[in-house]
Amino acid sequence: MSEKIFEKLSTAVLEGDSGTSVETTQKGLDEGLSAGDILHSGLIVGMNEVGVRFKRGDMFVPEVLMSAEAMSEGMKLLRPLLAKSGVKMAGKIVMGTVKGDLHDIGKNLVSMMCEGAGFEIVNIGFDAAPEKFIEAIKEHQPNIVGMSAMLTTTMRAMGHTIKAIEEAGLRDTVDVMVGGAPVDQEFADRIGADGYGANAPASADLAKELVGIA
Amino acid sequence: MKVKKTNHLTHTTPVFEVLTEEEIEAIYFSALSVLYETGVRVYNEKGYDLAHSGGAIVEDVTDDSALVKMPPEMVDKALATLPKKVVVYGPDRKNKMELYKDQIYFGAGSDTPFTIDPDTRERRRATYKDVKNLARLADALPNLDFHMSLGIVQDTAVGTYDRWQYLAMLEGTTKPINITAVDLDGLNDQLEMAYIRLGGEKEWKKGPIFSLYIEPVSPLSHSVEVIDKLLFSADKRIPFVYTPCPLAGATAPATLAGTAVQALTESLLGIVLSQLRKPGAPLIIGGLMSNMDMRTAVYSYGSPEMALLSAAYTQITKWLDVPMYETAGCSDTKLYDEQAALESTINIATAALAGGNMIHDVGYMEQGLTSSPEMLVASDETISRVKRILRGIPVNDDTKALDVIEAIGPGGHYLAHDHTFERFKTEIWPPKMTSRESYEEWEAAGSKTYGQRVNEKVQEILEDEKPILDEKMYKELRRICELADERHAGEELELDMFG
Repeated sequence: MSEKIFEKLSTAVLEGDSGTSVETTQKGLDEGLSAGDILHSGLIVGMNEVGVRFKRGDMFVPEVLMSAEAMSEGMKLLRPLLAKSGVKMAGKIVMGTVKGDLHDIGKNLVSMMCEGAGFEIVNIGFDAAPEKFIEAIKEHQPNIVGMSAMLTTTMRAMGHTIKAIEEAGLRDTVDVMVGGAPVDQEFADRIGADGYGANAPASADLAKELVGIA
Repeated sequence: MKVKKTNHLTHTTPVFEVLTEEEIEAIYFSALSVLYETGVRVYNEKGYDLAHSGGAIVEDVTDDSALVKMPPEMVDKALATLPKKVVVYGPDRKNKMELYKDQIYFGAGSDTPFTIDPDTRERRRATYKDVKNLARLADALPNLDFHMSLGIVQDTAVGTYDRWQYLAMLEGTTKPINITAVDLDGLNDQLEMAYIRLGGEKEWKKGPIFSLYIEPVSPLSHSVEVIDKLLFSADKRIPFVYTPCPLAGATAPATLAGTAVQALTESLLGIVLSQLRKPGAPLIIGGLMSNMDMRTAVYSYGSPEMALLSAAYTQITKWLDVPMYETAGCSDTKLYDEQAALESTINIATAALAGGNMIHDVGYMEQGLTSSPEMLVASDETISRVKRILRGIPVNDDTKALDVIEAIGPGGHYLAHDHTFERFKTEIWPPKMTSRESYEEWEAAGSKTYGQRVNEKVQEILEDEKPILDEKMYKELRRICELADERHAGEELELDMFG
C-alpha cells in the first residue's frame, strides 16, 4: 500500500501535479506513514528524477518549476512534522537580489529550484541592502545566503554584502552562494563567496553540496 | 484620367513582413488596454507625478513606486508630438544617421562583461583598451554605421566606467555613438564630454553626437534611474532608445504576440512621459525581444523567435511612424564559429529585410555576455551581402538590356561588352573575405577557414592606428573621467578585476 502512495507521489512531482501531490501526501499521513518516509521515498524520488531528465534535456524549465511547486506544496504539510521528529531537512536559504538591482527573475528561478530540492526559502526580494540580508540572517538563521546580481555595477554589491555580514559577526553561521549573468567562479572567489551557481539547476545542486546532502 | 503604371519600374527592395495590418492594429490596441487596465509600475516619484499631471490614474502608491494607468488619449497626444525622424551625428559630424521610415543602419551592441581577446582567442573581462580597439574596428568597417561600447570597461573605477567607455569610443571612432550611463551623474558627465568634443554646448543644438540607451525592466516596470535618464534626456534634447528587453516565457508571455503587446506597452509609457516632459523630445523605440531558452534559462540572442519578434516590432513601429531600434548580428555561441555565422546571418538578413532603422548588437555573443572582434568583422561582410539583396532587381529598359542581348546574339559572350564593364560593379556583389577561389589557390594561400581569414582581418585593422583625438582634446575629455573618479572614490568596494 505504502509503495503505491510513494509511487503516486513521485509521479505527481514528476508531472508537476500539485493537487495530487498535496492530496497524496495527506493520504499518506492519514494512513500512518511517517513524514520522513513520504519525503524521502515519495517527493524527493520524483524530484531526483526531474533532475535527471532536466540534465538529459528531456525536461524544460517551466516543467521543472511545476514539479518544484508540486514538491513544495507537499512539503508544506510535512515541514511542521519533520521539524518535530528531527528528520534532517535540506535547510533554509535567505535569498535576495543585491542593492541597486531590480532584476528579480533569476533569483526567483533559483529559489524555486532550491525549494524543489527541499529547501525552505526566505525571499527578501530585490534591491536588498546589506542590512536587509543581516536582519534576515538574524531572524531566520539560514544555512545559506543566496545573492543575485544582473549588472556589473551591482555585482560588486555582493562583495559589500559579504563584508557587512562579516562585520556583523555572522559570516561563520552561513554559507554564501552567488550568481547572476556577469558573475563567474573567479569573481565569486574574489569576493569570498562559498560557491557560485552558473544557472538555476546548478545553484540548487550547489546548495545541496553546501549543506552536505548532495 | 487614372493612369495605371506598367511594370517598367517595379518596387525593387524585397521586404520581410510577418504581421498583417490587422494584426499590427490588434497588438497596438491591446497594448493600449494593458497600459490603461493593468498599468505599469513606475519607481520614480517625478515620473508618476508627471504621468498624473498628464491625465494618468496613479494608484497603489508605496514608499518607492506607484502603479500608473494611462488612458489611450494620452498615447494619441504623445504620438502627435513625437518626432518621426531622429538624427544622430558622429563626433566630428562627418557621419550621421537619419532614423526614419525605411532607412537602415547597423551598429554594435553594448556593455558585455567579457570579450574575446583577438590575439589569444580567450574569453576574459573587458578593458579600456578592448573597448577602444573594438571601436577602431567598427570605425574601419564600412557597413557599420553607429557604435556602442562592446565591453564594460573593468580596469577603471567601478561607478564611473561609463565615462571611460565613452572616452574609449571617442578615441576609436567618428561614427555616431549610442552610449549607456550608470546613472544621471554618468549621463551628465558624458554630455559634458560631448560638449567638449564639439567645442561648446551650443554646438549640441545643431544636432546631437550621441544617443542614450535606456532599458526599462520587464514586465512593466520602470526603475528610478530609467525615468531620471528619460526626463534628463528630454530636457537636454538627447535622443534616447527606450527599449524593454522582455523574454518570452519568463518576463513576458510565452506567446510572441503577447510579448510584443507587453513590450509595446513598456515602450509607450516612455513615449508618453517624454512628450509630457518636452513635446518633440526625440525617442527611438526598441526592439530587443527574445525568448528564454527553456533548457538553460538564458536570454537567447540567436533564436528564430528573436528574428521574428524583431521583424514584427519593426512593422509595428513603421505603422506608428516612430524610429526603431532593432536587434541583429548576434549569437549565443561562445567563440566565432559556425553557429555564430549561421545565427547572425539569419538575424541580420531578417532585420535588414524588415527594415528597422537602428539595428544594434552586431558583435554580441554568449547571450550578450561576450563581445567578439571577429563577429564584428565577419558581420560587416554579411551586412554587405544582405544590402545587395536589399537593392533587389530593378526592372527597366536599361536593366533588361535588350539592345545588348540583340548586339551579342546567340553564341557570343558579354565579358568584353561596354554594358558589362559599366554595370558589373554596381550589379554584382564583390566579396572580400568570402572564398571563391579554386581549391589550388585556396590551398596555396594556407587552406584558411573563414574564421581564420576573419581573425587576420581583425589583426590587420588593429595594426594600423591613427589617433582621432589630439593630445589637448584627449586630456580635456579624460579630465572629466578623472574628476568623476575622484567624486566616487571610496564609494565602492576596492576590487581589482584583473589582479
